[in-house]
Amino acid sequence: MSGTAVRYKDSVQPVRTDSRDIDRRVAVLTGEAADQQASGTAGEHAQKQAEVWRNLPQPEANDPTYYDRPLLNEPVWKWAIPTYDYIGGLTGAALVLGAAAQIGDTASRERLIRRCHRIGFAGVVVSAALLVEDLGKPSRVLNMLRVFRPTSVMNMGAWILMGSSVLAFGAFVLRPRKGRLRRVGQFCGYAAGVFGAALATYTGVLTGNTAVPLWQASRKILPILFGVSAMSSVGTLFELTVESAEERRLTKLFGTVGQTAELAAEIVMERQAAVVPRVARPLHRGLGGFLWRSAMLLTGTGLLLGLTPRHTRNRRIVSGLLGTLGSVLMRFTVEHVGTVSARDARASFHQQRAGYGAAEVTGRTAAVL
Amino acid sequence: MAETKGFFTDTTLCIGCKACEVACKQWNQLPDDGFLFTGMSYDNTVHLGASTWRHVAFIERPVPLTPQHDGAFSWLFSSDVCKHCARAGCLESCPTGAIVRTEYGSVYVQPDVCNGCGYCIVSCPFGVINRREEDGQAWKCTLCYDRLREDMIPACAKACPTESIQFGNLEDLREHAKERVRKLHESGAHNAYLYGATAEDQPGTEGLNAFFLLMDKPEVYNLPPDPCVPTKKVKDSWLAAGATAAAMALVAVGAVLFGGRERV
Repeated sequence: MSGTAVRYKDSVQPVRTDSRDIDRRVAVLTGEAADQQASGTAGEHAQKQAEVWRNLPQPEANDPTYYDRPLLNEPVWKWAIPTYDYIGGLTGAALVLGAAAQIGDTASRERLIRRCHRIGFAGVVVSAALLVEDLGKPSRVLNMLRVFRPTSVMNMGAWILMGSSVLAFGAFVLRPRKGRLRRVGQFCGYAAGVFGAALATYTGVLTGNTAVPLWQASRKILPILFGVSAMSSVGTLFELTVESAEERRLTKLFGTVGQTAELAAEIVMERQAAVVPRVARPLHRGLGGFLWRSAMLLTGTGLLLGLTPRHTRNRRIVSGLLGTLGSVLMRFTVEHVGTVSARDARASFHQQRAGYGAAEVTGRTAAVL
Repeated sequence: MAETKGFFTDTTLCIGCKACEVACKQWNQLPDDGFLFTGMSYDNTVHLGASTWRHVAFIERPVPLTPQHDGAFSWLFSSDVCKHCARAGCLESCPTGAIVRTEYGSVYVQPDVCNGCGYCIVSCPFGVINRREEDGQAWKCTLCYDRLREDMIPACAKACPTESIQFGNLEDLREHAKERVRKLHESGAHNAYLYGATAEDQPGTEGLNAFFLLMDKPEVYNLPPDPCVPTKKVKDSWLAAGATAAAMALVAVGAVLFGGRERV
């Protein structure tokens, strides 16, 4: 089967005003799709279409597909979303640590609290910017807050980010003050910790709550993976930036627990996905498999290096860098393997035939044939 | 509230003429998807998408199928469309409330509210809704909401020359479809069955307002065998998130209370 697209360039003579072939000088757009923006010339948008058959599908009587075409439409999220997953996680976990550090006699921890609130405040600003960047219609970002909708994880996330922002700002600005303002700031700090814990984990819920087979199979482990990776992110960032020995001992403990759990969660995710072999494929093959292994290797090496007894400054920086890279790469890899998974119709079909579709909820599979 | 309306697509009557695709494009004033040759049967539309709200699948498989007698070969057509699920993944995941349930029971995307977040796309277990790159918004079949308001039937059903696409009250369609299956079974087509006609047939979506009569496995038509609205399982994820959040807080407090001390 030849692989090149043939466009019927001159077989029709479209009115080249837009891709509807409607001449706007004599006609009006009032249909349900009237708001769809046409894409300039007929040639430009033709090039963006689905890929033409490159590999001849192999029909299998017992494992059919529709010419090996995808069942699902793939995620449209770009670089800003995995970046947000990382930054949002870092922010959330820093707010949790900041809240915990406010407990008891804080005299020796004032700098740490301040740092956490600074990361929290900067983090929510960057997070919001990243989310706006990824929207198809950034001007309508506030529509996220026009409803309160518990069924939509993304709507819950918007409110969580909103709450975290207000509270992180309050803690950052008011806690250094005196008297009543300080008490308000102190309260904001504690409340920001609660919202921060939600901010660091809800992205895992959001990703798992999809029809993408690999993400769906990982829906219980993703919130855990994202949460503990957020702890690890804070730990490794402090390894890179903090000089005070006491602060570092404290944040290192927090981060090391996170990093160990991160590695464990990655192993669990891979095993859970492999219950249906086709579903785990993107974690084992191609670019996805390479990235997944690399992320685990970076996290593991960073962890080991951080645990070695003679902790020189250079070793600390290398271990912090490796750990940070591992966490960031994990976020991007989860995004990538999800996209690959969405392109594989057989992943969905096998998953549902194996009883991991609605049967998981209803206890029986309803498929007739 | 009007009665719930829907489509019954009887694929045994489909002749693959694509009049539905054309009628849909024309009535709704949808832009084209480019002029491509896929080399894949007579299907150059490929899949439902932001500006493709009907898609006729052309299935040619070297596998025998009752009651077709052309040797070891099955030849099937099916006009695919948004299923307007009773529990709709897109609607439940929409963070802005842009996707609503209309008085006809259909699932409708309000184009002036959608902010293009893309969450509905991954929440649809059928791969129906998609975002249009040019305007950044999510689009799908509206069940011809504008036509229903004027007491007209959707453009695709109106244009279908063989009544493969039937539009009406969901209850009537279900009755009619059951009768049709019975007749087909009588005439020897024992493999005819309804896909997604009721909540019992498809518990994951609690039934489709646009359901199908199929002759082969759903996968053959690029339909999932046991689809499930993701939100039906989201409780597991929230529980995992809650446990993780609690553990994170515990570790943080523990680190603060004990981690700062110099090791002996």
